[in-house]
Amino acid sequence: MSIKKKLNRLKSHMSHEGGVDHTDRNRSHVVMDDIPYRDVWEKAGVTPYYFEGNYCLIREVVYPIQQMHGNYSFSQFIDAVEAWNHHGGVNHPLSAAGFQAENFFFFDTETTGLGGGVGNSIFILGHASLSNNSIHLKQHILPQPGAEVPLYKSFLESADYTTMATYNGKSFDWPQVKTQHTLIRNHLPKLPEFGHFDLYHASRRMWKHKLERLKLAIVEKEVLGIARKDDLPGFLAPMIYFDFVENKDPQGMLSILKHNEIDILSLITLYTHLSFQILGLDKKQSAHEKYEVGRWFSQIGEASEAKQAFMHVSKGNGVEAMKAKHALAFENKKQRNWQAAIDLWKEVVNEGEGMLIIEACIELAKIYEHREKNFTDAIAFTKKAEKSLQQIIQEDQIKISISLDDLTKRSDRLSRKIQKQKRDEKCL
Amino acid sequence: MKVRKDLNELINELKNNDAYKENIVHWQTIEAKEAKTADIPLNIHPALMEALQKRGITSLYTHQKIAYETVATGKSIVAVTPTASGKTLCYNLPVLQTISQDPNARALYMFPTKALAQDQKSEINELIEESGLPINSYTYDGDTSSNIRQKVRQAGHIVITNPDMLHSAILPHHTKWVSLFENLKYVIIDELHIYRGVFGSHVANVIRRLRRICHFYGSDPIFICTSATIANPLELAETLIEKELVLINNNGAPSGRKHFVFYNPPIVNKPLNIRRSATLEARKLAYEFLKNKVQTIIFARSRVRVEILLTYLQEIIKHKLGPKAIRGYRGGYLPTERRDIEKGLRSGDIYGVVSTNALELGVDIGQLQVCIMTGYPGTIASSWQQAGRAGRRHSESLVIMVASSSPLDQYVIQNPAYFFSRSPETARINPDNLIILIDHMKCAAYELPFRIGEQFGSFETEEVLEYLAEERVLHQNGEKYYWMNDSFPAHNISLRSASQENVVIIDQSDIANIRVIGEMDRFSAMTLLHEEAIYLHQGTQYQVELLDWEEKKAFVREVAVDYFTDANLAVQLKVLEEDRRYTTALGEIGYGDVSVTAMATIFKKIKFETHENIGSGPISLPEEELHTSAAWISINKPFSEGKQDRLEHGLIGAAHALRHIAPLFVMCDPEDIHVIPQVKAAHNEMPSIFFYDRYPGGVGLSDKLYEGMMHVLSEAKEMVANCRCERGCPSCIGMDSNIDTAKKDVLQLLAHFNKGEIHVN
Repeated sequence: MSIKKKLNRLKSHMSHEGGVDHTDRNRSHVVMDDIPYRDVWEKAGVTPYYFEGNYCLIREVVYPIQQMHGNYSFSQFIDAVEAWNHHGGVNHPLSAAGFQAENFFFFDTETTGLGGGVGNSIFILGHASLSNNSIHLKQHILPQPGAEVPLYKSFLESADYTTMATYNGKSFDWPQVKTQHTLIRNHLPKLPEFGHFDLYHASRRMWKHKLERLKLAIVEKEVLGIARKDDLPGFLAPMIYFDFVENKDPQGMLSILKHNEIDILSLITLYTHLSFQILGLDKKQSAHEKYEVGRWFSQIGEASEAKQAFMHVSKGNGVEAMKAKHALAFENKKQRNWQAAIDLWKEVVNEGEGMLIIEACIELAKIYEHREKNFTDAIAFTKKAEKSLQQIIQEDQIKISISLDDLTKRSDRLSRKIQKQKRDEKCL
Repeated sequence: MKVRKDLNELINELKNNDAYKENIVHWQTIEAKEAKTADIPLNIHPALMEALQKRGITSLYTHQKIAYETVATGKSIVAVTPTASGKTLCYNLPVLQTISQDPNARALYMFPTKALAQDQKSEINELIEESGLPINSYTYDGDTSSNIRQKVRQAGHIVITNPDMLHSAILPHHTKWVSLFENLKYVIIDELHIYRGVFGSHVANVIRRLRRICHFYGSDPIFICTSATIANPLELAETLIEKELVLINNNGAPSGRKHFVFYNPPIVNKPLNIRRSATLEARKLAYEFLKNKVQTIIFARSRVRVEILLTYLQEIIKHKLGPKAIRGYRGGYLPTERRDIEKGLRSGDIYGVVSTNALELGVDIGQLQVCIMTGYPGTIASSWQQAGRAGRRHSESLVIMVASSSPLDQYVIQNPAYFFSRSPETARINPDNLIILIDHMKCAAYELPFRIGEQFGSFETEEVLEYLAEERVLHQNGEKYYWMNDSFPAHNISLRSASQENVVIIDQSDIANIRVIGEMDRFSAMTLLHEEAIYLHQGTQYQVELLDWEEKKAFVREVAVDYFTDANLAVQLKVLEEDRRYTTALGEIGYGDVSVTAMATIFKKIKFETHENIGSGPISLPEEELHTSAAWISINKPFSEGKQDRLEHGLIGAAHALRHIAPLFVMCDPEDIHVIPQVKAAHNEMPSIFFYDRYPGGVGLSDKLYEGMMHVLSEAKEMVANCRCERGCPSCIGMDSNIDTAKKDVLQLLAHFNKGEIHVN
C-alpha cells in the first residue's frame, strides 16, 4: 500500500487541522520578473526588493506632520519629545531626554501564530519614524516563506534607529525577530542593540483602573480617540496570510497592511499622549490619571515629581483627592516629615472613606507609637481602625488585606505599653 | 519477645519450612562475582582524578575503561550495564574530561523520567564540586523556574532533561539554545531499553529532529547510551539513533550472592488446576520479611494489584511498624509523593514498598534485601531489572518470583532453564510508524523547513511532504517545504501514550478541598475510571462518581468497601487491506491493516480475599476506534464438522494461549499486543485468530509476529500440551470449560494452524 493511501486511512488518528482549502494548487516558484498581481501591488504603493535571487515586498507611506491620528497630530509627537528634553533631569522610563524625535522607531509585526516557537514566523515587519518633517511608514512583507533573507535584509537596512517603541514588543515581537534572525544569521548582519519603550506596560499602569483589557485597539478607542473603520480582527491575520500564500491575491493582505499601519501610527499617538500625561501637559487629564502618574514616579523613586502630582490631585475633591493625600502622606513619611504626614493622614481619617481611613489610622498609630511615643493617641487610632474594619466586614464581604487580628495585637501591645508607662511614671 | 530474624535465617526457613518448601519449584543461586578493574587513564584532568579518588575510585571497572577509550576515538557507544554496575562513569568521565579541556563543549543528558534526571544531577554535581572545575550542570524540565532557564540555555555545560521536554520545549525553541547546539559534543541516553514500542518509536523521531537541528548548527554529537540487559541493545540503539555504535558489554562490576527462587502457589482446585492467588501468596511471603524488618520490595503487575497488596500489607503490619513504613509506588502519584517515598527507602524509614514496574528504572532507592515479584513481570529483561533491586554490590540477597495461574507464568516457572538460559527479549521500535512519524515531521517542519529530497533520519520524506502540503499544513515554495499553520504542533503530541489526552482524577471527598490526585491515559480510563469503578490510590479506595468524558475528568470520592471492580472490553475487528500473505497446507497466514473498535461494556464487583463476583453494572462510554496493523492465522478446512461450539471454544482457548506466548517473542508489555479469535473472519470467511498492535498504525509487533508465527504457534502448542490439567485450565487455554474436548480441540487447532495437519477425532 502506498504511504499516501495509508495516510488517508490513518487520518482520524492525526491531530492536525488542515489549512484553508483552495482549488488553486499551483506551486509558486520565484520568478523575478513575474510577481503575481504586480499591478495591484503597485497601485497600493508596494514595490519589490530584490536580494540574492529572491525578493520581498515593501510598502511605503508618507504622512504630513500636521496629520491628525486620534486626538493628536504627529507634530505633537515632536512637542512631546521636546517637552521631555526641556523638562530636564526627570528620570522616567518613558523619558526622551537626550533623544531627537527622529531617533524614534515605532515598530509592530504580524505573525503566523501566537506561540513563541521557531515555526511561528513574521510576515509583516512594519515601522514608522520621523524624517524631513514627515512621518515615514514602511512595511516589509514576506511574499511567501522562503523569502526571509530579503525580508530581514531590507528591514535591517532601514532600521537606522536608536530607540524602539512597541506595544508588548519586549516579550513578543522582538524575541520573535531574534528567533527568525537566528535561523538566517549567516546571511545577515547582526541585530543591533537599542533602547526599547514598551508602551503596553505604560498603558497598563495608566489605564488598568478603567479598561478591562488592554489590547491596543481598546486603548485607541477608549483613550486616544482613534476610530478604526472596517478594521480586520487581528486573529484572522494568520488565516488570511496562509490564504494569500496559496492564491497570491493581495486583497486580504492589503487589509492586514492597513491594520498594521494603524497599529504603528497609534503607537505615535500613544507615546505622545503618555508623555503629555506624565509631564502634566494634558489639560483633560483625569484626577485618577494624574494620581497614577504620581504613583509611577513614586515607585521609581522620583519623590519630588511624585509629590507634585499628588499635591495637584489632592487639591481637588472626591476619592482621588483623598487617595492622593494618602499617597502624599506616604511620600512625607518616606522623607521623615512626620508632622506633614500626620496632618495629611488626619485629613484622610476625617474626610475619607472605607479602607483609606483604616490604613490612615494604622499609619497614624505607627507614628504615634514609634516616633512620638504617644501611646494614648496611638491606641485611639488603632481602636478607630478596629471599629471601621469591623463595620466594613459586616457591611460587605469584600476581600480585605488588613487583618483584624493584627489590629487587635497592636492595640493589646499599646495597652501594655500604656500600663508600663504609667508604672514608670509612678516610680519617677 | 521473639528476636528478629535476619535474612540468612529467613532464607533457611524458606528452604526448610514445609509451608513454603513444597511450593518452591526452583532455587537458583547466583554466586558472587569479583570485580574486573583497570587503571584510570593517565590523561584524565588532575582535578578530575583527585575528585574520583576522594570518592574512593582508584580504578575503573573494565567496561568503564573501554567506554572511555572508545568514546575518545570519536565513536558512539552503547554500554550494557546491569543495576549497580557504575554505569554513570561510562558517560560522566568522557563528558567531564572533554569539558575540562574545552569550556565551550556542551553535553545533553536524556533520562526517561524527571526523577532519574534529578538523581543524576546530584551525582554529577558532587563529582564536579569535588573536582573544583568550573562546570555548570542543570536539569531542564517542567519544574525548572523561569528565572534560571535563560542561564541554563546559555551557560549550561551539561543540560539534563527528558525526551518530553526535548520534544516540546527545547527543539521547537532551538534558536534560544544556539550555544548548546553549536557546541554539542555528547548526547547521553540512559536507560536505553525503556525506549521501545510506542514510546521508543516516538523518541527515535525526537532524536531525528535533534540530529537535524544539530546538523543545522554544524554539530554532530557522539552518543553514549546505557542499557539494561536485553537481547539486542546494539540493534535498538542503532535503530533509535540511526548511527553506527560500538557495543560494550563486558561488565566488570562485582555483585553479591543472589538467591533466585521460583515459587508456585499450591493448587487449590485439582480438576480445574487452579492455584492459590499469587497476590495472596506474595502477601504471605512479604509479611514474613517485613515483620522482621528486612527491607523488601514487592512488584505487582498492575496499578490495581499494587493498591490491593498495599491495602493488605498495611493492614497486617500497621501495629508492628506503623502505617507509613510500607508505601505504594506507581505512575499516577504526584511527583512530590514519589520523591518522598524514594527518600524514605534510602534512609531506611520505609521498610517495604509495593510498586509497579515504575521502580524498575534506575531511581536511586538504595539497597533492598528482598525482592518479591507477584507474577512473572512479562519479560526476562524486566525480571532481571526487578531482581536487581534486591542486593547491590556486596551483600547477599533474595529474589522470589511468585507465579500466577496465567499460562505465561506457568510456562516460565515450569521451565526454569528457559528463563535462566534464554537470552532476554528483543526490544522493537518502528520509527516509521506513519502516525508517529507524521507527527514528528510536522514538529520538524515547524523547527526548520524541509528541503525537497531531504531525508528524515533514514526515512524518504517525499510522499509525506506532498501529503502534508495537500493537507495545507506545509507550503511548498521552490526547493523547500515550510510550516504553514498557526498551531504549535509539539503541544498536541504526547510521547508516552496513544491517546493524547489524559483523564484527570479529582478527589471531591472534601467539598472545601477538592484536589487533583492523579491522571490516567484515556484508554485505561475506559476500564479503570468508569462510573462506579473503585479506584485505588495509595491504598485508599475511591469510587468514581462522575466521569466527564468530554472534559476528561473523573470525580471520585473516598469510600471503604470490601471489593474492587474489573471491567470488560468488547472488541470488533475487520481487515481493511491485506499487505502480505502466505498459505499453509490447510490455511493461510496474513498481515495487513485492520480497524478495531473497542467498547467498555460491563464491570464486575469482586470481593477481596475470596475474589468472588458480588455484582455488576453497565458502562456507557463511547466506542473507541483504532486503525492499526495486524497479523492473522486462518484455516480453510472446516474443523470438526457440524460442531460449531467446539470450534468456537477451540479458537477462544487457542487465542488465550497465544495471547500469553506472543509477548514473549516481541518483548512488549502484554497490553501492547491484543489477540482475538473469530469463527468466521469477514475478509476471508475462515476461522481466524488476529494479533494486532495496540498503537494506531502499529509499531512493528504484529509484523514481527507474522514473520515468527510458526515458532509462536509451536511454542503455544507445547505449553498447552505440557500443562498438567486434563481438560483445560486458566493456566493454558483459560477456561473452566464444560466441553470435555476443549483442550484436545485447542491442540488440534494449533497443530492445524501450524502444520496444516489434522488428527482424526
